Amino acid sequence: MELTTLGRPVAAVASELTLERRADGRLWAVRGGAERAVWVRRCFPWSEPARLVSLRDDEEREFALVRDPAELDPTSRRVLEEAMVAAGFVFEITQVTAIDEEVEIRHWRVETRQGTRSFQTRLDAWPRLLPHGGLLIRDVAGDLYHLGEPGALDHHSRALLWAFVD
Amino acid sequence: MSTDAHNLPHLHNLDTEIVARYTDQPPRLPAELRRQVEASWNGAPVQLYALADLDHALRLTQVWVALGPGRLAMARRVDRGEQWEIESVERARIQAVREAPGLSATTLTILGRPGDVPLAVLRYSHRQRRAFENLKFVLEEALEGRSVTAPDADAEYAASVARPMRDAQALVAGRRVAVIRRLLGYLAPYRRQLTLGMAAATLITLVSLVPPYLAGYVIDRVVRPAQEGRLDVGRAGAIAWLAVAAMALVYVVRQAAAVVRLRLMSVLGEWVARDLRAELYEHLQRLSLAFFSRKRTGSLITRVSADTDRLWEFLAFGVVDVSLSLVMLAGLGAVLVSLDWRLGLVMIIPVPLFCWAIYRHGEALNRAFLRVWRKWSRLTDVLSDTMPGIRVVKAFNQEAREVTRFGGHNDDVTDEINRLHGMWTTFWPLLMLAVHATTLGVWVLAVPRLLGGGPPLSAGTFVSFLLYTTMFVGPIEVIGQMARTMQRATTSAHRVFEVLDTEPEVTDVPRPVRLEPVRGQVAFENVTFAYDGVRQVLRGVSFDVAPGELIGLVGPSGGGKTTIVNLIARFYDVTGGAIHVDGVDLRRLETGHYRRQMGMVLQDPYLFHGTILENIRYGLPAASLEQVVAAARAANAHDFICKLQHGYDTVVGERGHTLSGGERQRVSIARAILHDPRILILDEATSSVDTETEREIQEALERLIAGRTVFAIAHRLSTLRKASRLFVIADGRLVESGTHIELLGKAHGRYRRLYEMQLQLQ
Repeated sequence: MELTTLGRPVAAVASELTLERRADGRLWAVRGGAERAVWVRRCFPWSEPARLVSLRDDEEREFALVRDPAELDPTSRRVLEEAMVAAGFVFEITQVTAIDEEVEIRHWRVETRQGTRSFQTRLDAWPRLLPHGGLLIRDVAGDLYHLGEPGALDHHSRALLWAFVD
Repeated sequence: MSTDAHNLPHLHNLDTEIVARYTDQPPRLPAELRRQVEASWNGAPVQLYALADLDHALRLTQVWVALGPGRLAMARRVDRGEQWEIESVERARIQAVREAPGLSATTLTILGRPGDVPLAVLRYSHRQRRAFENLKFVLEEALEGRSVTAPDADAEYAASVARPMRDAQALVAGRRVAVIRRLLGYLAPYRRQLTLGMAAATLITLVSLVPPYLAGYVIDRVVRPAQEGRLDVGRAGAIAWLAVAAMALVYVVRQAAAVVRLRLMSVLGEWVARDLRAELYEHLQRLSLAFFSRKRTGSLITRVSADTDRLWEFLAFGVVDVSLSLVMLAGLGAVLVSLDWRLGLVMIIPVPLFCWAIYRHGEALNRAFLRVWRKWSRLTDVLSDTMPGIRVVKAFNQEAREVTRFGGHNDDVTDEINRLHGMWTTFWPLLMLAVHATTLGVWVLAVPRLLGGGPPLSAGTFVSFLLYTTMFVGPIEVIGQMARTMQRATTSAHRVFEVLDTEPEVTDVPRPVRLEPVRGQVAFENVTFAYDGVRQVLRGVSFDVAPGELIGLVGPSGGGKTTIVNLIARFYDVTGGAIHVDGVDLRRLETGHYRRQMGMVLQDPYLFHGTILENIRYGLPAASLEQVVAAARAANAHDFICKLQHGYDTVVGERGHTLSGGERQRVSIARAILHDPRILILDEATSSVDTETEREIQEALERLIAGRTVFAIAHRLSTLRKASRLFVIADGRLVESGTHIELLGKAHGRYRRLYEMQLQLQ
């Protein structure tokens, strides 16, 4: 595994970096004598979501770059993967109930794995095609909505999405 | 505090309406919850609140987070009732607030003593982010010993949730009918032309019904009686020729009325569009900078150009076409039924079906257009990427790849457009087939009757009938497309009215003061300012500047320097404290008169499309040529202008792009010199030019600033050595002030550190 400290890459062995969830509820990274409360950012959230994770401190500086969580010890790996779930969270659309156009915006009503949600996009904000298939929709507030397999949705949803899917 | 929501109460109502209409969350903290929270706080008020909409398992939920003077409360509803589970934390226990942003969820951890269990862990989507940023800001300010309070917690919450929507959409109070009615109100000044135009259009509709009737009349009352010997041939000829003459007259009248209608309505539509454009542009000039920072320039330009044009189309033709098509359909129906009710019903009954089919076809076309639009935007993305970046394409030898990429998208667009063509080229022949089938139905019913079976039907009536049936198609088409016409017009009207309904946030008091002349004394008294939400970008800034002083504003980016000069120019009003110019509160001054005494030289000087002469004279159009040359000389611009083929009459392109950066800067300095301001603002005036040009500009600036109060922002500190005083602005505060020498004398001073860092870089 390669670690990067404050922008300076250094070669290191996996065992040097450990991660733990402490009593304060935060993720702590420990390497050698240094420890830092960190949060995680996936470097490639859509093309390689499970690898290359940047651990960043409260000052937005990178404390370490994890090339592959599998290289960490089992406890650290579990803690990191839990943190990655929150970091990579987007709404997962399971059904499209309605898409209406209003003045300058498109109004979406959807069912997601997280619950029923309404959101709005600009008329010229098209769903983005993801590298491994699926669509990503960004609403006006910046929230992201993932459609893993548009073709597997129910007939009504597919009919509504027809204009937005190749 | 939000500058929008508090200065303009109607915006608060609009924000509340947006939250209620477009989100699945309450537009404000439930009253019962507020009561319960405040009761648990011994009556202390809720000052600010937000809604955490994700739980720990990242499912949608609703947890209200309310902040009071001494406590922070988290509340969730129990069993969907009016009972709330409320958990309060003493603010004194909060030692840190940490935010972990994710793709679509942020985790906010509120920490107590190091190592202790967190006081709260909250998760929320980006929709709630602004409201939580406000909370975080207030908590962190409190940790620094500073107190920030929001005057209206409901307004802050609604504004923070509604803001992205308000920025994205033109929102105008009132529904479609109200918008159309308001739009039609613009026709009021042209009542006479409108009445004439409508009368002409009505005449066209009515006289169009005459020729088929005459045809039937001639056959039944002239031709057949003459053939059967019941009418004298000479008399029959006379009547027939009279009918032909009547028909000719009808056609002439019809076309004359068409000329009147087309000309009057198109001209009238243009007048209304002109009025709208003028009103819109005048209103845009009055609006504050805050509005322009919210809206994209392209969108504003479209409102003045394309939207008013679309409204012209609607007013000139849409209104008349739709109303007359309805009249025409009703008239045709009445005539057909009165001619022969059986055949009439055969023709009339399918009409709603045809209208519905056209409407559905329009909807299907809309969806197909959406696909075309989406694919078209991919194609134009390639163009807008590669044309400006053609040097990079060539440098990396990627021409073939770009051609392939373009080709793929080009094929996609073509396929999609062909699909569209396939739809309408199938639909219209099919529709016409259905219309013809109806006509055939008329024939099937009519033929036996013409041959003597069933109720009698004359040949003339039948011919009239057939001619009338051909007139059905046009109105059916217009009615079928009415929804789309109305939608397009109301969309444009919304966008236009949104601008017209926006009130300028900086306005003059009823009897404003004029300073004649402005001496240039500027005092900030504990000034605070926030562009949005409760996050202040200026936090209690105070200083006093004497007339003629040159003040250098230095400090890190985002510290508040530009905000200070924006406030001095009164582009915004302070949210706390006051600014005094020559002892008078800036808000009491007549803004236009005050700004005439003020000059600005910006980092990226803006030159308008026009000659150099017009640009230098922009603030003082009556200036003599000698004054212009003197100003240009003082600005070190005269020499380079004289080298240009057309001298001062050289036309500079959009934003002055035919001149170099240094040349444009010197023209803008000449413009400021001619304007002769008492207060001058220099915002990074020399930062984007080479050393030699900088020297020339610096010389010009020295001539410009003499005798004026000057606020100069510069990152290159060496350019501010001659400043009377330097103000170091960081994190929204005035952290140091003094002369260059005084500040360098401070062993651990911010200015000294900045200066030494720049020396090292050199």
